[in-house]
Order: sequence, then structure tokens, then C-alpha cells
Amino acid sequence: MWTYILRRLLYSIPVYLGIVLLLMACLRVNDPVAGFLGKGASEEAYQAKKESMGLDRPFVVQYFDFLRQLVTFEFIKVPDEEVTASEDGGAAVLRSRGIESWSQEGRTVGQILRESIIPSISITVPALCFTLLISIVIALLSAYYRGRLPDKLMMVSAVLGMSISFLVYIIFGQYWAAYLLNQKLELEFFAVQGYEPGAANWAHYCLLPVLISTIVAMGYDTRFYRAVMVEESGRDYIITARAKGSTKRKIMFVHMLKNAMIPIITRVMSTLPFLVMGSILLEMYFNIPGMGRALLDSIFSNDFPVTQMLVAVFAGIFLVSVILTDVFYALVDPRVRLS
Amino acid sequence: MKLSTLLLGPALLALTLPGTAAPSAQGKEKVLNLPMRSAGPGSLDPVTGSTVYDNRAASMFYETLVQYKYLKRPLELEPLLLAEMPEVTLDGEEMRLKCTLKKGVRFQDDPCFPGGKGRELVTDDVFYSWKRFADKEYEYESWWILKDTIKGFDEYKDEQTARVDEGKEHDYDAPVEGLVKIDDHNFEIILKRPIYAFQWKLAQFQLSVVPREAVETYGTGFARHPVGTGPFILEQWTDKKDMTVLRSPSFRGERYPSEHMPEDEELGLHLAAGKTIPFVDRIEITFFVLENPMWLEFKSGKLDYTQVPAENQLEAFHKRSRKLKKEFKEKGIVSHATPLLDFIFRGFNMEDELLGGYTDEKRWLRQAMHLAIDLEEFNDVFYTGTNIIYDGVIPPGLAGYPEDGKAEISWIGPDLERAKELLAKAGYPNGEGLPVIDYYVSASGNIPEQAELFKRQMGKIGIELNVRILTFPQLIDAVNKKKAPLFGFAWSSDYPDGENNLALLYGPNEAPGANHFNYKNDRFDELYRKIQTMPDTPKRTEIYEEMQLMALRDVPYIGSMARTRFYLINPWLKNFKPTEDFYNWVKYMDLDETKRTP
Repeated sequence: MWTYILRRLLYSIPVYLGIVLLLMACLRVNDPVAGFLGKGASEEAYQAKKESMGLDRPFVVQYFDFLRQLVTFEFIKVPDEEVTASEDGGAAVLRSRGIESWSQEGRTVGQILRESIIPSISITVPALCFTLLISIVIALLSAYYRGRLPDKLMMVSAVLGMSISFLVYIIFGQYWAAYLLNQKLELEFFAVQGYEPGAANWAHYCLLPVLISTIVAMGYDTRFYRAVMVEESGRDYIITARAKGSTKRKIMFVHMLKNAMIPIITRVMSTLPFLVMGSILLEMYFNIPGMGRALLDSIFSNDFPVTQMLVAVFAGIFLVSVILTDVFYALVDPRVRLS
Repeated sequence: MKLSTLLLGPALLALTLPGTAAPSAQGKEKVLNLPMRSAGPGSLDPVTGSTVYDNRAASMFYETLVQYKYLKRPLELEPLLLAEMPEVTLDGEEMRLKCTLKKGVRFQDDPCFPGGKGRELVTDDVFYSWKRFADKEYEYESWWILKDTIKGFDEYKDEQTARVDEGKEHDYDAPVEGLVKIDDHNFEIILKRPIYAFQWKLAQFQLSVVPREAVETYGTGFARHPVGTGPFILEQWTDKKDMTVLRSPSFRGERYPSEHMPEDEELGLHLAAGKTIPFVDRIEITFFVLENPMWLEFKSGKLDYTQVPAENQLEAFHKRSRKLKKEFKEKGIVSHATPLLDFIFRGFNMEDELLGGYTDEKRWLRQAMHLAIDLEEFNDVFYTGTNIIYDGVIPPGLAGYPEDGKAEISWIGPDLERAKELLAKAGYPNGEGLPVIDYYVSASGNIPEQAELFKRQMGKIGIELNVRILTFPQLIDAVNKKKAPLFGFAWSSDYPDGENNLALLYGPNEAPGANHFNYKNDRFDELYRKIQTMPDTPKRTEIYEEMQLMALRDVPYIGSMARTRFYLINPWLKNFKPTEDFYNWVKYMDLDETKRTP
């Protein structure tokens, strides 16, 4: 398996180099410095900004320098701000500079990554777990009751759930579950917005966005998983299991579920990069300082170094998740050989 | 979905209870809860800050030599770090401002100082802070403020830039001819020529005074580690989320102003006169990228005030009377309308072959387009009727603004008959023979929708527009390169003087400068140079009016509109007079906890 992983990683290198090349070219179609400085910027300010980012160098030089930053993980560096006493009784700061943001003066890409990732996964990981668990259970029940009333009810609910816009859930959730509940019943279960780190605060700040995310995703996932289960339920091994006298419960939760894992894993793995990237809408509306907002804000504020680095890092994560998907296939299905 | 709710029910309750249990006990500490309608500031370093959010945040930690009088309207200046307003004298072609710093003003305690104890602010700090504008390390982000004003400063910048390019360090000890130190508390600023607007610049937050020790200690981290002389110190700042500041224990203590407007008495804004500020111990500022959560938090009583979002205007106010609705009044909430120093317009490139030029035919064409636009419709559709429509470039509230917004020459329509007449005189009866006009706008906000309305209105006189929606940087690029014949833009005044807006039509400021219209008028330019050297007198206001009429005759733009911002203030928040012209007002705020909703 390790040989396979290594080979896939090697195959991915030219793909990644191409992605980085394309990314850098795209971000330079419009002059990033002019975009950041806005109207009325002086020529001196323009040139100084260009020099500070090395944008005055040839593209090839910039390309290899950017690759160096990626390979040496320079992007995760954060300023070391240890204040120590100096000889004159004042203070001195030992500082190692990472890749600095343009719009967030004094912050580096490393700091942005480090501070944004926990808020993002506080929402996305529980949402994924809830969605996965609930959707698979509903899908199994639906397949079990296929064509009967419970199946129809569950599928109608799923279609309804996915037909309503994410924004509607957010706005209604904030108004009904957070604001009105607080106003009318004086029960402050959910915060209208905000985020505080720590397990004790998680439910207050994160549960509502997690529930909204779960409800929206459940519609899609339930329908998909049900289709997988229904397909599996018609396979020969199910008939054999029945003939051998296996209980319905055992057939569903042992035989069928195991064989349905490949499409389930494919779907879950394809969402992994997005766990890190966070949910832009939820983070915006609930004022959660996550990765989705960090990327979006960097784009809107023309923060070129942050946008360039975050997109390159996300692209890398995406490639790794594709490799991991293939590895997981082999783990759950002995028919797949990593050779 | 139902099943999921059933499954989650008990878990939900179990999970939510801990989060509800612990509202922090605040005791008698006075804590302000304020919103900031943005993702927050980008920098707290005055020299690299540029946005109003940078301004608002930095103004809590830093101080300028002068400040705006909090309650006085129209705006006036008063000394802040200075003991009195600068003594202005004219010396030949130069202008001298003699300044005396207040004694006993200390920087906040910080590890960057020996023993961690803040030292007294002196003349050298002022000069050091301003010399940072010329330091290449800060990429000249604020250089435009001091450019071509102080004698010898431009030369100092060029010398220092050359030094840095040679690999040497910026020399902050090198002299600037126009910055003359008399002693630690007295100095003189020599301007190249009389520039009366310079006093307004002294109140701009970028010119705040910072200590050299802090800049050298924290380097780029100084942008997130403020050390000033202001009334507050930073406790924490979580980017994009919130910021908490505390009352500075070493703040010298200023007095709440006694000078106020008659209408302030009704709101009790005069009652704290003479008391020592700041009144509060702690300020918690929450950043809101979106308005809906801010509005709900205000209605929950978690914010002391809010701007009223456009989509909640009708929830808060009666449509016709614009009076606050009963349910808000019953809670003791008061509203406040604040006109902004806005100039919202659609500009012509006066060098464009089709739309530009100064012949009668070209003027008639632009005048026809101006008469065809219905600004009231824009106001109703996009601004819930709260904008002020006016002639000229000088917004309401400033000297030079025409009475009731109507100038002697006015093209504010719609007057389609007259527009069609002028269009025919220009050689395009019913728009025949007129090529399709490219209209450049940015994709932000509802600007594309506004462009569609503009297109429809122009269609009524037979003019066809091709709306080109670009990103903001692309729009700037097109305008700076004089490629856009017609474009949508807006300008917010840097300081409350019409001169700042008239500069938008000053010939030498042509694109890529602030004169995006590329408007050229020798007489206008001559008068502009004249007003720069004049104090604020009725004579100068007359010249402002004359200059505006020149522009109205030539029609380099279609306009104008200024927004009005509506605020709602909870009853427990005292001493708040909303303004967006300056931002150091947080220090005047107080709380009356007896009026807080339980």
C-alpha cells in the first residue's frame, strides 16, 4: 500500500505544479497591487507594495519562490513575538516573519490558518458526523420500508429539506431558534451569532449552525444513500443471506451496510477538503471566524498573499484527499487492490 | 427530517445547557457593547491604517494634535494633544503653525518603555510619527496626506528613499526644514504655501502620535499592539470577530465638552459637561459582516446602538413620516439621522471622443443625459428614500452646499422633454446616430441593479447604454487609464471642507489622480489654487459656489446624492451623538444601568 501511496503522490506532483502555475497566472491577470491600493494610490505606494511582495520580479522567479514557500512550509510560520528585556531597560522582540497579509497588518498566513481552522472544523466535523449518521440510518430504514408509507414520508421530507435554500434555514434559525426563543421564553439556548473557543461554549455558539448544516445536507445524503441501499438490497448475496436464514436486521446492518461503504466513502472523502475550508455562508451569518471567511475576505479585500497561499494549500489538501479516498477503498473492499 | 429532530431532541438539550449557564458576572464595571459593521480593522497602526474601521479602532488608543468638537455642528476643531489651537502666521509665501503640546501627556504603560512605564509625549514624538509617512517600509500608504505640504518634507522623503534603496536604514534623525523643534513642548510647522485645510489634516487619525520605542520593539506587530496616549488600551482582538478594550489606567483624564447645540439638550447630551472622561471601564466591540445578526443582537438588547440596515428601515420607521415606530419608542429607544459627506455620481470622461469635450454640442449631450435621469427613483428603489439629492460636488453640511440642494444651474430631472430637445440640438434627435455608450460600474452591492435602472432611464430619450460590470480593481484601472467614457463612482470627504471635493475637478489631479473626469478648466484651476490659501470666510464660500457653477455648466458628472445613516440608540446608552465624520467619540459614551432591559 505504501508503494501505491508513494506512486500516487509522485503522480500528483506535476498536477500540483500545474495547479500552482495556473493559480499564479490567474491571480496576476489583473494587477493585484492596483486592486489592493484602490483608486488614487500614489506611484510610490504602488511601487513599494510591488517590491515588498516581489511582484516586480520575472514570473518564473516568482513561481519558483512561491514553490519554495510551499515546500518549506513557510506559510505556516507565525511571528515569534517574545518580548525580552533589552540592555537599556526597554524591551526587544525576537521576530521571525512569515508570509504577511496585506489587509490584516501584522498577521501572517500561518496565523490566519491556525486561528481559523478550529472554528471551521467546530462546525463542519460535527455536521458531517451528524449528517452521516442520521442519513445512513434513515436511508437504511427507508430501504427497509421501500415503497411503503415510512419510506415515502422520509423521502418527501428529504426532498423538502433539500428544496429550501440554505439561507432560509439560516435566517429562520437565527430568528426563531435564537432570537425569539430568547425573547419569548427567555431561554438562551442558541446565540444569534458569535463564537467562543472551548467545549463549554460549543453548544451555545456552534450547535445551531451545525443543525442547520445537518438538515440541509441530510436531504441530499439520505436520497443518495437510500439509492445505494436499494441497489444493494437486490444483489445476490442478500438473497443468499435470506435463504440462509439471516435476520433482516443482520442483513441490513452487517451485509448490506458493509457492501454499500464504497459509495459512502467516496461521498464522505469528497467532502473532506471542504471540512477544512469551512462553510462560508454559516461563518458569515453566524460571525464565526473560520477558514471559509478567511478565504472569502482575502478575495474581497484583494489580499493577494493570503488568497494565493490559501488557494494553493487547499488545492494540496484536495489532492491528498483524493489519494486517501483510493486507499480507503482498498481498506473496505478486498476486491480493490492497490497495485 | 422529523425523525432527525426526534433523534436529536434529548442530545440537543443536553448539549445546549452548559452554554446557557454562565453569563459572566460584570459587577459594577461599566461595559459598552458596540457593533462595528464590518469584518473589523485591518491595522491599528495609524500610518498604515486607511479605512473608517481602522480609524474607529485606532482612535481609541491614539490621539491627534487637534480633534473635532464632539457636539458642535457644523464641525469645528479644538486642541487635543496641543494646549491650544496652532498659531497661524503668514511669512511671505509660507505659512507657519506654531504649536504647543500639553504638558503631562503620557504614553500608556507598556513593556517597550524602560521599566514598562509610559513616558511623557514630546515634540520629537510628533516629528517621528510624521516622518514614518516617508518611510518606504510603510509603503507610503498615507503619504498622500502630507505630500506637497510641509517645507522640505518631499525632499526628505526622496533622500530617505534613496538611502533605503542603497541598502541603508531610514534616518529618522535627519532634519526636515519645515519641522522646527523649539523645545520638548513647542515646535513650528512650516508649510510651503498657505494651506488652510492643513488644520483639518491635523485631526486625521493617520497623524496620531506614536512612541518610537513601541514601533522599534514590535516592528510589523505594532499594527496589532497599539501604544498611544489615548483613553483605552487593547485587551484582545480576534480578527473578523471582536475586540475588547479597557480604560487606560494612565490616561490623563479629559473633560466632557460643555459646548453643544440646542437640540442636544433634549437628548441630555449636555448633562455630562465638565466631567472627566472616559466613563466606561471596558468596551466590547463585535464585528458584523452581515446586517441581520447585528439587527437581531440589537433587538435582543445585546448592543447599545445599531445602524438601521436598509432592509429593516420599514420595521423601525413609518414609511412616510420616517418616525420611529411605537414598539421601539416604548422601549425608550431613540433614533438619530446622520447625513454623510457623500458625493455619489456618474462621471463622464471629459477626454472621451463622444461624451467629453467643451463645445456646446458636447455640453448639450451631457446635459440631456443629466435631465433624463430620475434620481428620486434611485433613491426610492435603492435607498428607501433616505438619500439627499443635490446639485454640485459639495455634500450637505459643508460651506458651499447650495441652499436646499438647488444651485442656480441645475440639471436634476427628470425632464424628458427638455432632455430630448437638448439631445436633438446636440445632433442626436431621439438618440438617432448616437453610438451605444459603454457604462462602467463595479459588481459590488446593488450597483449592477442600479446600472440597469440607469440604462432604462436613458432609454426613454433614445440613448442606449452597454453596461460593463467589472470588479472594483478593474473599474479603477479602466478609469485611471481614461478608458471608461461613463462610469459610476462615489466619494466620501476626507475632511469637512468643500475644498476636498472641489479637488476632484482640479485639472492637475487628472486620472490616475482624483480628477477621474479629467475635467480641465483654467479658471477653475486658478480659483482652486486660490481657495487653498484662504481661511474659511464668506468670500471663500462664494468662490466655492462660483466653481460649482462652472462645473454644473460643463456637466462632467451626473449627480449628486448623499446617504443618510439611521441609528437606533438604547435608553441606557448616554452621551452618544452619532457621526461618521470623525471616530474618537467612544470616550464620551456612558451607561445608565438603571435603564437597561432586565
